[in-house]
Amino acid sequence: MAEEKGKKERETDMLVPEETYMTSGVHIGTRQKTSDIKDFIYKVRNDGLYIIDVKKTDEGIRNAAKFLAKYDPPKVLAVSVRQYGQKPIKKLGEYTGMQILEGRFRPGILTNPNSKDFFEPEIILLTDPLADIQALHEAENIGIPVIALCDTNNETRYIDLVIPTNNKGRRALALIYWLLTKEILREQGKIKSDEEFTAKVEDFEAEI
Amino acid sequence: MKKAEKCITCGKGLLERGATTFQCPTCDEIIGRCGGCREQSVDYICPKCGFKGP
Ligand SMILES: [Zn+2]
Ligand SMILES: [Zn+2]
Repeated sequence: MAEEKGKKERETDMLVPEETYMTSGVHIGTRQKTSDIKDFIYKVRNDGLYIIDVKKTDEGIRNAAKFLAKYDPPKVLAVSVRQYGQKPIKKLGEYTGMQILEGRFRPGILTNPNSKDFFEPEIILLTDPLADIQALHEAENIGIPVIALCDTNNETRYIDLVIPTNNKGRRALALIYWLLTKEILREQGKIKSDEEFTAKVEDFEAEI
Repeated sequence: MKKAEKCITCGKGLLERGATTFQCPTCDEIIGRCGGCREQSVDYICPKCGFKGP
């Protein structure tokens, strides 16, 4: 009975309080808005910044965790050209066993069997479809599904699942990847409760 | 995982470049998306659970 109640609460509540998303700047978009992203936008601020609906961010993280947990971790590749995404994906890799590629994405990694670090993932996770365009092109070439953190200025071409979020901020990226890591471990049955996940959000933050 | 044969949105075959197959993020339904629908970022809806992507 108690378990059932807990389950129900989890379905209606957010992974963290809305304020936690706000203080990490997850909701802060850019001054650009693409038509692909309009459904994820809550409002435009007086200063012209588009604000992301963090309820949809929360939903996106849960769905991405469920999606990624269907795959064998070594067959998942997370990438980030963006500097502030590099520490968070390293942590994701450390805790989940997923593969990561940080920094420049050398052409051919997914498409050229002769390339020295050739790799054949079954699904890919991008930190920013604009910065990670090379990885997106190669994923498109080999026909694997794509999950991406998308800001208000991103298009979603060739993306199969969007996590709408500020994908540039240091603290925003740390929080998103920390939550995603925790939810993946929960989906995989490796942790049963939040308390079992002892990593802190700060551990996922890139150094300034 | 078995491959989808047709795009869930437009019904096109999935042999061309850019197409993909995956299990619905929130259930186990096999979903195919063709290169055209992915390129245009056309919404897809899971026929089993109603999940709407991307
Ligand atoms: Zn199609
Ligand atoms: Zn479904």
